[in-house]
Parts: sequence; C-alpha cells; structure tokens
Amino acid sequence: MLSRVGSSFYRTAAWRLALRSTLVFAAGSAAVFLAMYFIVARTVRERSDSWLTGESETLRQVALNTPRDALYDRIVEEVAELASQEVSWDGGGRHVEGNTVFFAQIGDPSRPPVWVGPHDSAKFLDALRAMNIPQGAPVSLRVSGWREPFRVVALDMRPGDGRLYLGLLDSGAVHLLRQLLLRFFLGWVFMVAFGFLLTLLGLRRMLQRVDAITGAASSIRSDDLSSRVPVGSQHDEVARLARTFNNMLDRISSSVNQLRTLTDAVAHDLKSPITSVRGSLEVALSLEDREQSSELVASAIEHLDRLSDVITTSLDLAEADGGALRLRRETVDLSDLVHRVAELYAPAFADRSQQLTVTAPAPVLVTADVSLCTRLLSNLMENELRYAGAHAHISFAVFATGSSACITVEDDGSGFAPDLLPRVFQRFVKGRESEGHGLGLAFVSAVAGAHGGRAVARNRLPRGAQIVVELPVASADQEDRQIPDNLLTSH
Amino acid sequence: MRLLVVEDDTTIREFLTRALTESGFRVDACGQGAEAERLALEGIHDALVVDLTLPDIDGLELIQRLRSQGVSSPVLILSARRSVDERVLGLERGGDDYMTKPFAVAELQARLRALLRRSTPGQAETTRLRVADLEIDLIRREARRAGVELQLTQQEFALLEYLCRNVGRVVTRAMVLDHVWKMRIDTSTNIVDVHIHRLRNKVDRESQHPLIRTIRGVGYLLRD
Repeated sequence: MLSRVGSSFYRTAAWRLALRSTLVFAAGSAAVFLAMYFIVARTVRERSDSWLTGESETLRQVALNTPRDALYDRIVEEVAELASQEVSWDGGGRHVEGNTVFFAQIGDPSRPPVWVGPHDSAKFLDALRAMNIPQGAPVSLRVSGWREPFRVVALDMRPGDGRLYLGLLDSGAVHLLRQLLLRFFLGWVFMVAFGFLLTLLGLRRMLQRVDAITGAASSIRSDDLSSRVPVGSQHDEVARLARTFNNMLDRISSSVNQLRTLTDAVAHDLKSPITSVRGSLEVALSLEDREQSSELVASAIEHLDRLSDVITTSLDLAEADGGALRLRRETVDLSDLVHRVAELYAPAFADRSQQLTVTAPAPVLVTADVSLCTRLLSNLMENELRYAGAHAHISFAVFATGSSACITVEDDGSGFAPDLLPRVFQRFVKGRESEGHGLGLAFVSAVAGAHGGRAVARNRLPRGAQIVVELPVASADQEDRQIPDNLLTSH
Repeated sequence: MRLLVVEDDTTIREFLTRALTESGFRVDACGQGAEAERLALEGIHDALVVDLTLPDIDGLELIQRLRSQGVSSPVLILSARRSVDERVLGLERGGDDYMTKPFAVAELQARLRALLRRSTPGQAETTRLRVADLEIDLIRREARRAGVELQLTQQEFALLEYLCRNVGRVVTRAMVLDHVWKMRIDTSTNIVDVHIHRLRNKVDRESQHPLIRTIRGVGYLLRD
C-alpha cells in the first residue's frame, strides 16, 4: 500500500514540475558558484605567482653576484631563508601555519645541489628534475608526500651553474579556497533542497485543488448534475477553472433539462399523430364503403402534414438555438410584409368575429430573411387567431425606434396564463386547452434571435396580451443578396 | 411524355412510378447514379426527377455531369434537406425546380407539368379563361358565372384565376399560398380553406353545379 502511494506520488505533476525546476535551478546556481570559485582561485594564485617571480629574480641576482666559493652556498641559503620567512609571517607579524617555501639550485652533477626547504629534499629534487619547467613562468609541481601542488618558478643561471628554482606552497590560500568551496557547496545544497521543498509544497497545494475539481467532476453523473466543484476563496487560475467548470455544469444541466422536456414533448407530439394515422389507415383498410375509407385516409394525410410541420419547425428551432440557422438576408419592408400577411389572415379573423387592425403607415426596412420573417408574422397571426378569443380586438403595429424595428401585437383577450408567461417562448410550452404544438412562439423568438433581435411577451392591464418583436434595422454595410423570387416562395 | 425517376429509396421510387404512370407519363425508374447517367444519356426523357442522396454518387454531381454531356431536359430535384442554400446550389448546378420531402403527389405532378410547359415554347398567353359557365377576363379582371358578374376581391380573383388555370387538377394548400400569396408558410392551419370557402360562396352559391371542390387531405379542385 505504502509503495503504491509512493509510486503514485512520483507520477504526480507536482513532483515532476518541482523536480524539473529544481534541477534547472541546481545546475544554474552550481555554475555560478563554480565560476566565482575559479575567479577567486585564480586571483590567489596570481598573488603567489607574482611573489615567486619577484623573489626568484632577487635570488638570481644574489646568486649571480656571489662568487662561487665555499661561502656561496651559505650566502644563497641565507637569502633564500629570509625570502621564505617573508611568506611565513603575515602583515601583522603573526606566523602563517603551513606556508612552505623551498629554494634549489641544480647545476652540474659534480656539485651537490643547493637546497633550502623541507627536509625531504630528495623528493623535491627528483620532481624538479623529472619536470621540464619553462624559464621564468610559474607552474604547478606535485611532490610525492605533499597533498597540494607547489607553484614553482625556474630561472637559468650562467652556463655551468645550472638552474635556480623557487617553490611556494601557500597553505593559507589553499585553506581559504577549500573553505570557500565547502561553504559554497553547503550553501548550494541547502538552497537547492529548500527550493525543491518549497516548490513541491506549493505545487502540491495548488494541484490538490485541481485534484479536488477532478474528484468532484468524476462524481457527477448524467442522471445527477446537481453537485458542484469547490471554488475556494482565492481568485487565481484554479479558482477560475473551478468557476468555469461550475458554469459549464449549469449550462449542461439546463440543456439536459430542456432535452428532457423536449423528448417528453416529442414523445407526445409525434406519437399521438402517428397513433391516429395508424388507426385511421387500419380502419380504412377494413371498411367496405369507399367514401368512408377515403375520409379516413384523408384524415391520415392531414395528420401526417401536421407531423411534417412539427418536424420541420423543430429542426429549424434546433438549428436556430445551435446558431446554425442560415439566413438569406435582403432588404425587407416589414410594414409591407405585415400588410400582406394580414390580408391573408383577415378573412379568418373576420370568421371568428375578431377585429384586426394593422398600423404600419411608413416603410420599415430591415436586412432580414424574408421567408423567416413571413413565417414569424404568420405565427403571430395564428397565435392571435387561436388564443385571443372570439370578439377580441387585435392590433398589429410596425414602427422603427432608433436602431431597431418593432413589431407589436396586442389583444384584449384573456392574456397569458401567469405560470406560462415566463416560458411562452420555450419549445413545446403551451396552454392546457391549446391544440397547437407549442412551437409557434418559440419559432418567433428563435427567428428574432437569429436576426440579432428579441421577442418579449407580457400581459396588459386590465386584460389582454402583448408581444413585442424587435429586429435590428437595415444597416448600409450589410450586403443585399438578391435571391430569385421562386426560391423564397416555392416549396 | 417520358420521365426518368432517380430515387434510391425503393418505396418512394415505386409510389412515384405508380403515381406518375397513373397521371399519364411513361416512367423509367432507377436507384443508382451510374445507371441513371446511362439512361439519361439515351436522350429519350422529357424530364428527370432526381433525389439528391444516391448510394453511388451525389445527386448534384449527377445533374452537373448530365448537363456537361448535353442533357437539356428539365430536372426536378427531390431532397430531404431543407436549407435555402441547398435549394440555390441545386438550381445553380443545373436543376430546374426543387422539392423537399415530404411532398404531395399533386404538387409534384403540377411542378412537372410546369417544367414541361416551360421546355416546350410557343404557347400563346391567354386573356380569357372559361370553365363550364364560368368566364374570366384576365385583362379587365372580371369574372362571370352564367353571365352574372361576380363581386370578387383582388385576392379572390387571383385565387379563382389560379384554380381555373389548373382546371381538372388538384392544387394543394401550399401551392395556393405559393402562387396566389407568394408566401411559404406552414400549411397545417385552415387559412386557405377560409379563402376557398369565401370564394365558393360567391362562385357556387347560386349554381346547381358547384365547380370548386375540396379534396380532403390533399387540396382543391376546380372542374365542370
């Protein structure tokens, strides 16, 4: 169990991101520290090298000016001793532990070399002889038994007198550099570890909130869309993610609810006509009387026509809601259109003793789909025919108000039922005594919406209903598309 | 008159063949685009009825190919798709008329007749129509029944003219709305019936022989 938790932790984004950023940080800071160290080390070496160069020149002068007699070795040794004393004491007179200086003059093999320095001279001389040291330039020399290399400068003497060597092991500097390296290293390790821990914890905290969203999301099922993810008090990206997620859930749940209403309605509105069509045809089949059976077949066809209308309108509405309704825009005079549609409906209103008034004195131009606008107006007319009631006064008016064209429909009928009013433009919403499918006003609203306008319904005081449809008026920048007349008017 | 019906749905193909044969056409029918192309290239058909969804090639492409190979007979497109865009596309590609499913057979027949009329020129425009004792003067916009002038509104006159021009043939509600009011709206309501009822009151009330009949489930018929 523990190992499973462990291995799953190493697969988290928090671990991966923290590790990656820490590695980059570690490499970068190590490079900076090393560069600093090498700069310091070079400066220290240059200091000892410049001492070596100066001092070796002095020794050479002394050696050259001292006659090669029995005292030669003594004098040179003394000078070398003095020189070595210089570096063994710091500026304040304190003895510097561990600084080691050696001096050697190696000439022809018959004379023993002059040597001032540590007692194990043989090792030094071997090392000096083994290495080909260039004239005048300090180099590093490793001597067996010594952990640190010496800096050595070599100077040629007169022919026959061989070479003069001066070596220095600046232990103080070496110690300083070692301390520096150690501190750099410890500091680096601490920085990297601390940084890693901080990044890891920060990322984990953030990603745990993401995990909480994931958990909440995976617990949401299609049959229960009520739960929401925790948003938290912060206003950062993760909180925004959570809020966006919750908004999305709100929209999905409202869509699902609409879909449920829709499927219920479809089940009812499609199945009942199918049932009656089937029934009519079945009875017609068994009837002997041709006239009676024709009557039934005709009624079946009428049901099918209604069914076909429901399907067509539902598809149009679905397209309009999905923003996929294609508009063939052209300049339409709404006043003219209302008059024409009213002419078509006038006898039907008269038959029901309803009075229709149309007030559209001036042309109102909109850039719109004339076919959809015609259906919008005919739907409004049919709505009044059906629901305004006998002897109602119905008035249609068209006028322009600034940037929009208004179509208002008013009647003095019984108005919308209060529970229906907020939903009259939804699909399949209809009054209890309605014979329609509840698509007419939904279509009106969808067409208005597709044109960038809207439809509003309210009840009038003391009685009656009012529907206002607003469409944006024709704008000059919208291109008029001329469509052959037969395309728009023919089936 | 010989027709070629191209429709992949067997049921629809069969009823189209039957309905069009009954109304006096000779009908060849097939369900494949390739076969349709071969038959159409024989050049013996006066008009083509083409469904857009064929199993082998797209109906629009078939029409385009036929046009490019010199087939000039009028083409009536059938489609289940209902967008205005597709209608425009169909007519651009060489179709002459476009109907969406479902449709009334009466309307299909009327449209085919209109297409065939269009493709056989040389018919003089009439100025008077006469059915039994009904006379219509198209220039003076007057109608008389048994010599008595009928008081008709403009709409009623246009409706009567349309029925007379289609004497002996059934016209659907959609056709009436389309030709008389130039509108394409839902036909589920009885709005056209109201107009027909009023017209009938004026034309047939005084007569022993009613001319305007309602064919339930389909539309209206004017005949003597």
